[in-house]
Amino acid sequence: MKTKENTNCANCPVHNVGHLKKLGINMDNFDFVVALAGNPNTGKSTVFNYFTGLRQHTGNWPGKTVTRAEGGFEYEGKKFKVVDLPGTYSLLSTSADEEVARDFILFGQPDVTVIIADSTRLERNLNLVLQILEITDRAVLCLNLIDEANRNGISINERILSKQLGIPVIPTTARSGQGINELLKIIYEIATGRYVCKPFKMKTHSSDLNKSINELVALLSEQFPDLPNKRWVALRLLEGDQSIINSIRSGELGNLKTAPSSGLVEIEK
Amino acid sequence: MSDNHNTDKIISTANKLRWEIGENLYDTLMETIYQNAQEIASKAITYSDKKPPFSLDRTLDKILTSKYFGLPIMLLMLALVFWITIEGANYPSSFLASVLVDYIHPVLKDLLTSLNSPKWLTGLLVDGAYLSTAWVISVMLPPMAIFFPLFTLLEDFGYLPRVAFNMDALYRKAGAHGKQALTMAMGFGCNAAGVISTRIIDSPRERLIAIITNNFSLCNGRWPAQILIATIFIGGLAPAYLAGIFSAAAVIFIAVLGIAMSLIVSWFLSKTLLKGETSSFSLELPPYRPPRILQTLYTSLIDRTIFVLWRAIVFAVPAGMIIWLVSNITIDNISVANHFIEKVNPVALLFGLNGVIFLAYIIAIPANEIVIPTILMLTVSQLGLTEFGAGSGVLFELESTADTAKILHSGGWTLLTGINLMLFSLLHNPCSTTIYTIYKETRSLKWTALSTFLPIVLGLSLTFLVTQIFNLLS
Amino acid sequence: MIYLLLIPLFFLIIIFIFFLFKKGKVLFRKFKTNSEKILQEDILKSVYNHQYQNSVCNIESLSEKLNKTNQQIQSSVDKLIDSKHIEPDNKEIRLTDSGKNYALKIIRFHRLYEKFLADKTNVNEKKWHQLAEEFEHNLTNEEAEKLAAQIGNPVFDPHGDPIPSPKGELPEVKGMRLSELNPGDISVVIHIEDEPDNIYQSIVNKGIYNGIQIRFLGTFNNEVSFYANEKLCSLSLEEANNINVGLLKLEKIHLGDFKKLSSLSVGQRGKIIGIAKSLRGQQRRRLMDLGIVPGTEIEVELESMSGDPLAYKIRGTTIALRKNQTEKIYIESL
Repeated sequence: MKTKENTNCANCPVHNVGHLKKLGINMDNFDFVVALAGNPNTGKSTVFNYFTGLRQHTGNWPGKTVTRAEGGFEYEGKKFKVVDLPGTYSLLSTSADEEVARDFILFGQPDVTVIIADSTRLERNLNLVLQILEITDRAVLCLNLIDEANRNGISINERILSKQLGIPVIPTTARSGQGINELLKIIYEIATGRYVCKPFKMKTHSSDLNKSINELVALLSEQFPDLPNKRWVALRLLEGDQSIINSIRSGELGNLKTAPSSGLVEIEK
Repeated sequence: MSDNHNTDKIISTANKLRWEIGENLYDTLMETIYQNAQEIASKAITYSDKKPPFSLDRTLDKILTSKYFGLPIMLLMLALVFWITIEGANYPSSFLASVLVDYIHPVLKDLLTSLNSPKWLTGLLVDGAYLSTAWVISVMLPPMAIFFPLFTLLEDFGYLPRVAFNMDALYRKAGAHGKQALTMAMGFGCNAAGVISTRIIDSPRERLIAIITNNFSLCNGRWPAQILIATIFIGGLAPAYLAGIFSAAAVIFIAVLGIAMSLIVSWFLSKTLLKGETSSFSLELPPYRPPRILQTLYTSLIDRTIFVLWRAIVFAVPAGMIIWLVSNITIDNISVANHFIEKVNPVALLFGLNGVIFLAYIIAIPANEIVIPTILMLTVSQLGLTEFGAGSGVLFELESTADTAKILHSGGWTLLTGINLMLFSLLHNPCSTTIYTIYKETRSLKWTALSTFLPIVLGLSLTFLVTQIFNLLS
Repeated sequence: MIYLLLIPLFFLIIIFIFFLFKKGKVLFRKFKTNSEKILQEDILKSVYNHQYQNSVCNIESLSEKLNKTNQQIQSSVDKLIDSKHIEPDNKEIRLTDSGKNYALKIIRFHRLYEKFLADKTNVNEKKWHQLAEEFEHNLTNEEAEKLAAQIGNPVFDPHGDPIPSPKGELPEVKGMRLSELNPGDISVVIHIEDEPDNIYQSIVNKGIYNGIQIRFLGTFNNEVSFYANEKLCSLSLEEANNINVGLLKLEKIHLGDFKKLSSLSVGQRGKIIGIAKSLRGQQRRRLMDLGIVPGTEIEVELESMSGDPLAYKIRGTTIALRKNQTEKIYIESL
């Protein structure tokens, strides 16, 4: 009930964004899955609406998107399914919406995870960014509300940031559609394997923690040699995450493999 | 099964390591992440050295949350929103009513009659299902279509979190969350929407409290009844030139009583039933943002208005049929409705109400908006008045307050009935839409039942008390 | 007639009262108690504790500990011997392997439940132990594992004691006795023996608790002296022997001045150095998610109409916190 197909495309400014075709709730035969993650109240739903042409409610208030919303768009002839994850501050807690977001990024293995950050509060948003980069290698950071940040005297050097994080960084103002085209382009490039990310991995100064993680990573490598995010899994084990324990027991974890950096395999299936 | 052996080893090693690391893993982890974030941020972000001489956000915050201006501004804003809603809804409401009720209703009736449909079917479908739905739409849609966008504009601008910030002290004392002030304000528009809006409260205990007590906010559907009854019975007490003020004061008193009840019940719940639930507090004050008016109109219409209206209609259709049936099915030549009214009257009198009111509240459960039309229709059919209305089971309302008063007075209504109806209208079960929404949000029959019955018990106790005191005094 | 119709009203009131007193949640469930089962399980637990502490366990010590007559204990012990959970060993009582597993299972349930109460409910700290004492006897394995999963499979209870794994593994007691420290050592209290009760109470009354950081000074005239949270404390040797200390990994040592965040007023700044242990569960995590972690700079930005809550600038965000939270956040002045 929350969404409605927009029949009035021609009026909105993104209509002219090159090669974007909004598919609304039509997600048949998609080639790639794109996940939208981010802190609450960063304009995630606005980006979602631009991609899909749907009208999710957006509000200047945390906690609007409670359930996962899905939609679709077509770009350069490829069909993308977009999953708008609940806005969370972190992926480490035990709350239900964090579990949804965490499990989707890990087990759902989206082809691209778009992390929407509020440029005016980037430092705090990086908390979530770094956590996501522990889970997935294929992510792009969208610096939303960049106009507001600039107005407040905050300037962000995206090139340095991109280099530090090892993923593309796109400044956008989703409300007016600025930067969305670049974002789409980079999503396309990552999904099709033309852009390969080398994401930043957290460095901990605690040698005890490092030792424990390494011990578990070694064990995990024996059992699941193809697992791409062993450090994250090790961390979750140390946190006692039930869904990870279950997936180890059931062997599901073994199915998570580093996807070959080419969308072609995906298309064939 | 070497596989099992290995996986077990992983899990038990993890367990062992967890004992070794100790309890502070989460703390350490968060610290590590934020350290990394800080390092990266310090390289990529530069803050302009000179602070802007004038920060709009800060100044706004200082004014909106100040000791002296905070409260008046808040009350002013709320008053403004309500004034616009009530004033603005009048015209579209009467327009919709004239189209849907005065124009289309007879046309539909003629159409069915010309198709040779049996009388009972025409009655059931047109007088029952259609008319009550038309009524709900014409009374419910305009105020909601005005209230929700206004509220959403305030929300998008960023003012509402400041209200929560200001009101938190009060709500904290009641064991609730400051954001409950907002869900309550939303409840003034519509309780179902108010219940949905409790999603912004992330602490389980406070959220439940907000859901259960939302019904104490006098919703849009109940304002017209309050105003009508206050005008007839309270306004009648005062000299003519003061009547307006008297009745307005009475309605405001009821609304404030509702707020007081919600605080008292919140406090009571947090001390008893919900004592053991976890509770946490966090409230972010987002930066102010210029609201986008067109988009807001669109989404709040879709998200809230249509959504709530749809649910109300779903319940209004069967209820309309039931209303028609109870007043048209007869046993021993007396309609079921009148049987019920006769039987219940003695009990209802204990509470200073009457059987008509009880029946009206039972069968008008889909929407508070149709309570008054139902009461009028039942009273007329009970007394067998022929000068008003359009037959049994056909809802109606009168242009003239004096005529309405005449019907009610001939139905045996007194000042006491009026007062008690106002109280009962505030304190009775939520409408079916709200009950359903509460169930959807809590996923618990227990909390849904509590939210449904608690206000009834309170309402009946209060009306009983008032009646006994009133009888003692007079 | 009237009375007939009062019945529904009466019914409504009953429903309401029923809700009031039913306390329907699992956590307050009242049980049909099977006193024999409870006594047997208490005996197993008690025997396990005796063995863990290497003290002599016999009928007399059990009856004293469990506040029962010797006959009652003897009859239950006989039954436990029949079911091969314990075996007599001279005058002493020892657990068999199956008895030890059983005891550990009950201890696991107890500590899991305490952790649940601490993290997921608002139940007062003083009631945890008592509620868990009841609850531990009424849990099936499946329920316990569900409970564990729900609270993130904890490995420590809120008192800092390790929770046995489902397979009955338990780490060995780490650390050393407080009295064995060298002068100048800095360490953390990791365990306070809760038996005998009078010694435990006198330790607790001196403000010593699990997790408190201490700086050891030395032993003088059978008095053990140290700083606990920068407060001078001394204990008798007997008391000090009942306290285990160790350098818990990942634990931050803070010595020196610190203030509460609540002591700051609008415009003042500080740097967070820690969050009190009593802020726990989801509440603690949420605060950390918002950026309230050691090392974060924080500034009081705004006062609400009534002065509580206050809004703080934290990493570029404005977040309102209540006083009962900021009292538990420690900072150093900037």
